[in-house]
Amino acid sequence: MSTAEFEKSIEGLEVELSDSRAGLPIEMDARDISVWFGKRKVLEGVSIPFPKKTVTALIGPSGCGKSTFIRTLNRLHELIPGAALAGEVLYEGKDIYSPDVDPTHIRLKIGMVFQKPNPFPSMTIRGNVLSGLKLSGMKRPNHDDIVEETLRAAGLWNEVKDRLNAAAGELSGGQQQRLVIARALAVQPHVLLMDEPCSALDPASTLKIEETIRELSKEITIIIVTHNMQQAVRVSDYTAFFLAAENEPGYVVEQGPTTDIFGNPRDQRTLDYVNGRFG
Amino acid sequence: MTTMLFDSEKIQSLRTQEPQHPWRRRTPKFTWSVALAVVIPALIAGYFLFATAIPDPIVIIIIYLPLQLLAAGVAAAVSKGKNGVADAFIYVLAIGGSIFSLVILISLIVTLFINGLKAVSVSFLTQNNFYISPSTSLEYGGVAHAVLGTLLIVFISMLVAIPVGIATAIYVTEVRGRAVPYVRFFVQAMSGVPSVVAGLFILTVLILTGAMGPSAFAGGLAYAILMLPTVARTAEEVLRLIPEDLRTGALALGSTRARTVLQVVLPAAKTGIVTAIVLGMARVVGETAPLVLVTGTSDATVYNPFNSPIAALPTYIFGNVAQPFPDAVTRAWGAALVLIIIVAILFVIARIIGRGKVK
Repeated sequence: MSTAEFEKSIEGLEVELSDSRAGLPIEMDARDISVWFGKRKVLEGVSIPFPKKTVTALIGPSGCGKSTFIRTLNRLHELIPGAALAGEVLYEGKDIYSPDVDPTHIRLKIGMVFQKPNPFPSMTIRGNVLSGLKLSGMKRPNHDDIVEETLRAAGLWNEVKDRLNAAAGELSGGQQQRLVIARALAVQPHVLLMDEPCSALDPASTLKIEETIRELSKEITIIIVTHNMQQAVRVSDYTAFFLAAENEPGYVVEQGPTTDIFGNPRDQRTLDYVNGRFG
Repeated sequence: MTTMLFDSEKIQSLRTQEPQHPWRRRTPKFTWSVALAVVIPALIAGYFLFATAIPDPIVIIIIYLPLQLLAAGVAAAVSKGKNGVADAFIYVLAIGGSIFSLVILISLIVTLFINGLKAVSVSFLTQNNFYISPSTSLEYGGVAHAVLGTLLIVFISMLVAIPVGIATAIYVTEVRGRAVPYVRFFVQAMSGVPSVVAGLFILTVLILTGAMGPSAFAGGLAYAILMLPTVARTAEEVLRLIPEDLRTGALALGSTRARTVLQVVLPAAKTGIVTAIVLGMARVVGETAPLVLVTGTSDATVYNPFNSPIAALPTYIFGNVAQPFPDAVTRAWGAALVLIIIVAILFVIARIIGRGKVK
């Protein structure tokens, strides 16, 4: 799809919002997403628009469905046995769950970085970066440039440029996580989903990845799940606060510009959570 | 600038949302191409099966399978584009392979039941073969003595092979001594020992030296040689899958290595260990050659495992199947049926033991 076509397809996709996202071009739009595992409903009526080239943080206590929600955005959710879903996720002007959409294409365009770094152990650093091209059958010339460019974007280039053919398993946890970010970028996704990408990392690595996120958001749309409130403040433009009562489905209590969620929340529970009073 | 709050009215209206599986919805194009891709090759193959003299296996392998692959590939290319073709091929080959193995298994079991059920009766299950000649009619005699013999021999082999096998696995994965590579090599080499060689070994070492006569014990030892590598290797694989964190976690609580293994690692691997035992049992239960060499056979019921030749189901089958009397051959089928039913029962028991929940 060309840019012009794309712009056209998302026309009229602007959602009615009472916050500053109103009027922005929207990259993805989750509408009324509810999720079940078997008979148990774990997420209820989540509607979040994701404006293009912004970072949206999903925050909330453990077990409120943030990770589940993020997995519905690139159709990884359906791989779990017993998973069910209602609602729609609009991307490129279309529900990604409509039957004529190829999930492989969606996962190519909407990349993901997971909580634990998962570089492919049998591949070299270079091989890992290029693995997405091989696995998806995507053709891009100048592999050397891609490797350098994505590793630079992920903030790892200087540390590994002399040993691109070393096994990926030799890297530290933080380096591995930046490697998988580079790997995700090599297939040129439009959206990058990050599920607590820094939860297993030390502060220095975390800082590097946060810089990377800020840098990347000039080009692509990022959605990040995080338990770290300061991180949400540092990296995100918008924040959605999830909450779930015990054995009840999770939902979004409040969402909007990060500065308002943290500086001027309207819901008492949001205020308590962002000030570290529970969760 | 401000934020958006949770909209409780809207949520109320969403309460009526039903759980759906949108990924299961298919486009009509997809449904039609799959239907055609299933029906057309089947029709063509059906024509060759019924209207020509070409043998059935050739029709299925040379005509149907390639045709089905082609049809699936075309259907995938039409409905999902280039990316779907490889998926479709793997899908067809995987389903084809599963059907193939299922057909073989089912036809084996059906044959066994058709031929074996003629022999099976209450007396067949409760009597021994004493006073019975190969030409005696099916109303008389049975395999109770051979069932008892098989159970005795397998039990003896389990007594030997399971502790030794699990100990070997623990040595390799938990103790990690210096001899690990050699132990692994020998266990691996041992799994290649032909069953008749195991029988010959016991024959030479125990029976020909006069240490003991043909007996269930000698048979059990021969079986143990065959069972040991299966138990040891499967248990090793299972223990290898236990995350290292569990071991370090236990050690960090001041546990000794022995307690770590006995109270943390082995319980975590329980289901897998039971599988290892079941596989070991299944490996030996039908072995005939070693028994022919070291247990002899008997028509009477033998309870003492040490001093007398004893019958077992494999040797009973072996002794009857080559007789020129139809009833003897039917007895062999009946004994074979009893044998696989015993194996099935052992499997079920093992699964029930393995399932045990944490209290």
